Amino acid sequence: MRLNDAFGFGLRALTGARSRTWLMLLAMAIGVASVVVLTALGEGARRFVANEFSSLGSHLVIVIPGKVETTGDTPPLVGGTPRDVTLEDALALERSSAIQRIAPLVLGAAPVSYRQLERDITVMGSTAELMPIRNLELARGKFLPETDPTRESAVTVIGDKLKKELFGNRRAIGEWVRIHDRRFRVIGILKPLGESLGMDIGDIAVIPVASAQSLFNTEGLFRILVQAEGREAVPRARQAVIDIIRQRHDDEEDITVITQDALLSTFDDIFRSLTYTVAGIASISLAVAGILIMNVMLVAVSQRTAEIGLLKALGGRRGEILSLFLIEAGLLSVAGSTIGLMVAYGGVWLMGRIYPDFPLLIPLWSLGAALGISLATGLLFGILPARHAARLDPVVALAGR
Amino acid sequence: MIRLERINRSFVVGGETVHALRDIDLEMAAGDYLSIMGPSGSGKSTLLNILGLLDQPNSGRYFLQGTETTALNETEQAVARRDHIGFVFQSFHLIPRLTAAQNIELPLMLAGVEPTERTERVAAVLEQLGLGDRARHRPDQLSGGQRQRVAIARATIMQPALLLADEPTGNLDKHSGDEVVQTLEQLNSRGITLVVVTHDPEIGGRASRRIRMVDGAIDPGHPLTGSG
Ligand SMILES: Nc1ncnc2c1ncn2[C@@H]1O[C@H](COP(=O)(O)OP(=O)(O)OP(=O)(O)O)[C@@H](O)[C@H]1O
Ligand SMILES: [Mg+2]
Repeated sequence: MRLNDAFGFGLRALTGARSRTWLMLLAMAIGVASVVVLTALGEGARRFVANEFSSLGSHLVIVIPGKVETTGDTPPLVGGTPRDVTLEDALALERSSAIQRIAPLVLGAAPVSYRQLERDITVMGSTAELMPIRNLELARGKFLPETDPTRESAVTVIGDKLKKELFGNRRAIGEWVRIHDRRFRVIGILKPLGESLGMDIGDIAVIPVASAQSLFNTEGLFRILVQAEGREAVPRARQAVIDIIRQRHDDEEDITVITQDALLSTFDDIFRSLTYTVAGIASISLAVAGILIMNVMLVAVSQRTAEIGLLKALGGRRGEILSLFLIEAGLLSVAGSTIGLMVAYGGVWLMGRIYPDFPLLIPLWSLGAALGISLATGLLFGILPARHAARLDPVVALAGR
Repeated sequence: MIRLERINRSFVVGGETVHALRDIDLEMAAGDYLSIMGPSGSGKSTLLNILGLLDQPNSGRYFLQGTETTALNETEQAVARRDHIGFVFQSFHLIPRLTAAQNIELPLMLAGVEPTERTERVAAVLEQLGLGDRARHRPDQLSGGQRQRVAIARATIMQPALLLADEPTGNLDKHSGDEVVQTLEQLNSRGITLVVVTHDPEIGGRASRRIRMVDGAIDPGHPLTGSG
């Protein structure tokens, strides 16, 4: 028998039994559509989170003094306490072409007072670069001036909560506050931003890094925030940080470098496995569709027993009968998944219309997986009825017994 | 052309053995016209099924055109059916969703004949049987006699040597039945070996050779039995 004849025969058999065919197409289409739509949703969620992350602070590399050993149980004896990461170290990082800007950070707790009011708050020493790196915004005034970072300067930018507590509704810009035992003039007020890097930005005072160093009497920095030139430059920036600091620290790598990518990729992994899980659950509906196909095909075989007997009487071989019924099941699967894909694309398009901010996307692998699984289930569950048909005794089949 | 030697066929039903055929010996030459009569349950259909390679005897030997068919495997038997044997059934066994032409085409399709050649041969046989204007009709749009003639066309499209008909007129009125018998006899006159199982003595009597079966055996004493 010729292959296209076999296909023609299968097609006529399917179009000859409309309601049965529609039922199976529906089951298959629902299965495929649910796999594709659910993976699109999962993938959309992943991309949504990724987008949120990159808007949070872009291409950030964070330098922490001291080596955090993630492997090995005995801390290195040689080297002892790590060396401070100094302001000079931080400024040296600007040499790298992979690094766009850096902001050194010195952190300490100190009392801040204005007239009789005093508050214990976090004082952050940094440079003008902190603002773009952390995406800070000002409610009023100016941020730290772009001067030589090694120079002290008695100015401060305060959080909005602190401003309210010290000044109430009065004007704060231009006023002098006392931090610890020094006086600083308020030049700007931060817009509330909520938590950032685990700190309440409303309750801080930002002062020039050199002033903070002398205020807290420390050479060492708490952190260096490094912004890479771009997303692709993050690994290079990271390597540059390590190389430069090691060179300055007598060939010892006594810092820890965290990239935001690491955090992001953790979330990425979570959402990806979520997508797989959802796709897996949806695949169950495909399997259900397969079982339905099997049942309906079995019914079809018993309804068409006489036909099978006839085909055998006419000289149809066992293999030919088998392939005729398998082709029928295969055609059903392909047609069903085509409808399912159309429904899925329609649905995703519609959801994209309703929620334009949610980055829905049908990943290519889900297409392949849905089609593959539907064809596989169709054929797998088609085999049983087809074999049943192929093995029928022609005399019994013709008699309809 | 056909030689049956001591063919036995029995069925086991509910622990009891039914002997459908007992030691059947039969010989036929090419072009013979044989009718098989006998009471219900006497084994006529079983004999026909064995002649048509649809069923296998429990013992005995069956030679078809010199080949011992009992030695063939399932696939070889299927091919032998396809190429050498045509069946006509009481209930026509046309596939309802297919047109007359498509039904007739089935054996050619199974044999892998070219579509263009198929169309030609189907058209020719339809013309020959006076069904030229019914090619695109489905079975439910045809009369009983027309359906049986479509079935005969399907049975003969492969130009088989042997045509087996199991009560071909059983579902037809007198007039269409006669037409169908004439069609079969026409084919026989052109050389096809024809075996007809029938209850109708008038139709059975037209055959040049008649056998009567009783209880799974050929009745030797019956006046109708013998070569014509
Ligand atoms: N598949 C089968 N299983 C069990 N018994 C069977 C089977 N086929 C035939 N028989 C038995 O074999 C015997 C002969 O049956 P067969 O069909 O050949 O009779 P028949 O002469 O064709 O009868 P009818 O004129 O009613 O068609 C009967 O007793 C029948 O019950
Ligand atoms: Mg019978």
